[in-house]
Amino acid sequence: MKQTDQRPGWRDYPQKYWQQVEDGEQLPGLELPIDYKRIVLNAASTWDWFPGHHNPEYARAQGQENIYASTILFHGVVDRLVTDWAGPRAFIVRRGIRMQQSVYPGDTLSAQGQVTRRYRDDAGSALADIEIELRTERGVCVPATVTARLPEQGDVE
Amino acid sequence: MKEPENSEATGHKLAFGDYEQAKAWIGRRSQMYVADVPVDESRSKYYCTLAEDGNPSYWDQTWAAMHWGGLITPPGLLMTWVMPLQWDPAGKRESPMLAMKVPLPGDTIINTGTETEFFQPVYIGDRITVIDEIVDVSPEKSTRLGTGHFIVTDGHFYNSRGELVGRNRNTLYRFKARGGQAEETS
Repeated sequence: MKQTDQRPGWRDYPQKYWQQVEDGEQLPGLELPIDYKRIVLNAASTWDWFPGHHNPEYARAQGQENIYASTILFHGVVDRLVTDWAGPRAFIVRRGIRMQQSVYPGDTLSAQGQVTRRYRDDAGSALADIEIELRTERGVCVPATVTARLPEQGDVE
Repeated sequence: MKEPENSEATGHKLAFGDYEQAKAWIGRRSQMYVADVPVDESRSKYYCTLAEDGNPSYWDQTWAAMHWGGLITPPGLLMTWVMPLQWDPAGKRESPMLAMKVPLPGDTIINTGTETEFFQPVYIGDRITVIDEIVDVSPEKSTRLGTGHFIVTDGHFYNSRGELVGRNRNTLYRFKARGGQAEETS
């Protein structure tokens, strides 16, 4: 990275390399307070105007307590957990989530992750599998798994 | 059997029918659906504020140009670049989600899971196209929310150059609500 240090406006960011990843490694967790503003921001920033995400009357008729966070918010939290840990040169190759409980205004959403496997695929890509749990005060709401590709030490960028 | 009808209550035009009619949709593919607007920095950054994601790939033009060849956008937004505008002078477009067109009795929906593969980043200025496919419709199943069917779809997302950028296998529950507040169970 040294060769890029001279560029105007350049700054570098912490990066984890694939060789440094350990099986069983815990990712630093994160917490996100969920209030009305964030649920509304969820709809606005994703253009997902399904009424369960902004109309309390509709959400309750669906059997929900209140308007609730959408799939796309969980994607954002899961992906951030991984790239906050790995660094900005990591690329998310695969992400799976299952939504088991809804998340409402007033909840605190937290995320925890653990590396389950560091390996190369058939194409030689340097990968890590991460198991993630998103929780609220009521327990696990969204289990997720991510496969991320990380840069390797010695890579020339 | 009643005639299929449409509902606007969900914000999507749901098609109504029975499970036998729904099964005929398995394997069907949608037309290509081109996003109303190109991928833009405003919405990308707006979405970053949602999960408070400071990844410089989405924020630092200089760094992103060096590493990715330009600002990229969060992978979480993949499915959303093809969401239709909520009003359009030419008339609001229907959702590109083929699951809404599967005729079933349920009058509401909730997404229950996604399995997404990413092949390359989506850049500011790309215009995303999707082709959706019905992979499966489950027999009737009861959950704590109500009774209905799970619809599995495969969305293939392409950039302006026609390159596959991602594939999303989506599971959506189309159901009739029990009414009242659901009990808290797993």
